[in-house]
Amino acid sequence: MKSHKRVNHNPIARRDFLKSCARALAGGSLLALFGLTIRKTKAKDASCFWQIDPTKCTFCGRCETNCVKLSSAVKSVHAVKVCGYCDLCGGYYRTNAKELNTAAENLLCPTGAIQRKFVEEPFFEYSISEDLCNGCGKCAKGCNAFGNGSLFLQIKQELCKNCNECQISKVCPAHAISRVPVSNVYHLIDTL
Amino acid sequence: MNRFPKPDFESGYVYPQQQFVIPNEVLWSYIDIAVLVFLMGFVTWALIKKQIRWPVVLTSVVSIFYFGFFRNGCVCGIGAVQNVVLTLVSDSYSIPLYLLLLFTLPLVFAIFFGRVFCAGVCPFGALQELVNVKNWKISKSVSTVLGVFPWVYLGFAVLFAVTNSRFIICRFDPFVWIFRFGGELPLILFGVLLLIFSVFTGRPFCRFICPYGAILSLFSKISFRQVKITKKECINCSLCHNACPVDAIYPPYQNKVNEIRSKGVHRILRYVVFMPLMVAAGVTIMYMLSDKISRVNNDVRLYDMAMGNETNHSNVLSLELEAFWGREQTLEELAVRVEEVQKGFRIWSIIIGAFFGLVIALKLIHLSTKRGRKVYDISSAECVGCGRCFSYCPQNQKKIS
Repeated sequence: MKSHKRVNHNPIARRDFLKSCARALAGGSLLALFGLTIRKTKAKDASCFWQIDPTKCTFCGRCETNCVKLSSAVKSVHAVKVCGYCDLCGGYYRTNAKELNTAAENLLCPTGAIQRKFVEEPFFEYSISEDLCNGCGKCAKGCNAFGNGSLFLQIKQELCKNCNECQISKVCPAHAISRVPVSNVYHLIDTL
Repeated sequence: MNRFPKPDFESGYVYPQQQFVIPNEVLWSYIDIAVLVFLMGFVTWALIKKQIRWPVVLTSVVSIFYFGFFRNGCVCGIGAVQNVVLTLVSDSYSIPLYLLLLFTLPLVFAIFFGRVFCAGVCPFGALQELVNVKNWKISKSVSTVLGVFPWVYLGFAVLFAVTNSRFIICRFDPFVWIFRFGGELPLILFGVLLLIFSVFTGRPFCRFICPYGAILSLFSKISFRQVKITKKECINCSLCHNACPVDAIYPPYQNKVNEIRSKGVHRILRYVVFMPLMVAAGVTIMYMLSDKISRVNNDVRLYDMAMGNETNHSNVLSLELEAFWGREQTLEELAVRVEEVQKGFRIWSIIIGAFFGLVIALKLIHLSTKRGRKVYDISSAECVGCGRCFSYCPQNQKKIS
């Protein structure tokens, strides 16, 4: 038998070996992670857009102030097929309105974003001008309290920055904002 | 709700048509991936093959305008960490493919070429890169202590993501307000402060805050091709060391203490034995704090609010409680849900606590090992690939003359 001489370990070689092990570990774990997660990526129902569920919304007004945009991406939407076309509209007039005219002190909308148009006796058409709407939800609250609930809040997808975590979804007291897939990107009252 | 009947119009009124825009994000997100790969490839070519800096600067500008201002800086690879871990544990959440790619591609590049993503492809790195003028050194002790923070941040981000509570990386993003032209004042101040710091020393966010940078630095430690200051022989002039804004270039060093090898090995072994204690300490601390930490979750906070109202009735309900009672839910249902959430928090706090212990123990072990260097050498974990050292190296200048 040969005498067992202590072989002088070459530190670089050992380090290289450890490095290869670490590479295999890193590559392997990355592959494993990728494999585990890619099973769940179904492009069809990957929910990466934010939307308000109008049946849960309580019109608290936080959408107006908590959106990362200066003017909130949340806007009031009017489901005309649900609207009663009332003269005394709960979403248009304040509850204490003295006269039913367009004087500012009678109107609910703080920015004058709701337009009222006479259709025929006794019906009036209401529409929202989106540029003026700030998403405060006062009209939706009034309409839900006194009318058919045809005014409601929705996140307008062309305005939404689509943040990874929607700021208003986390301050929404009713947990009404959730991720939705592109196939179901609006929750409209008249189609619910 | 139908308080008023649908009106019978006699004047032939037709209902106005409404248009709702369907977003076309899916297409854009794949363009993002293509741009990401192209830019990372470009930076790799510049840093590894050509050893030049201008492509990094160019990439930084492109990245700020494309990923930053054009794509609004959200979503990003840093935040995608949270989506990935949430996907791993949650049944209801599924990550879109491009987001998964946004997370994995920089890591794949890191295994092969180091932190090329940080160099200028990440818009946050790019912002700090472009404002950086000075390269003030930060003392080793300070930078080591601060260097633990990204791991702690990562731990908490994972904890809050897996419990589906918050995405804190997105919440406390210090730079995204630049791309959105506005944001919360504290974050704006923090971002401005970071940018001012990064004028004097390189990349404070990347080195001491960014949790994704921490993962990337781990991967780039073992990368196949690493950034070299020069292809020629180092003449130990120390110019690159002075030029490096992130203190990633280490001077030659010879261990003066001549220690017997076995003694050193034993010392390391002692630390390794000591490691489980650190892990146990981390687990204990995080487990004890888990109920407090769980208050980050909205449901837990709501339950606390409701319980507070039970004992101490108030006529003015908070918006949360109003919404809760309005939904006609019972406190019992909420209690069950909260119990579930808190259980999740307890389990994950243990895991994250163990991780914290491990990180600190490994940092300590790392501090106690000293390795000799004959020439100036880049620590590839810390190098963010800005490429400043190349032009300072006199050996690189030679080929021009």
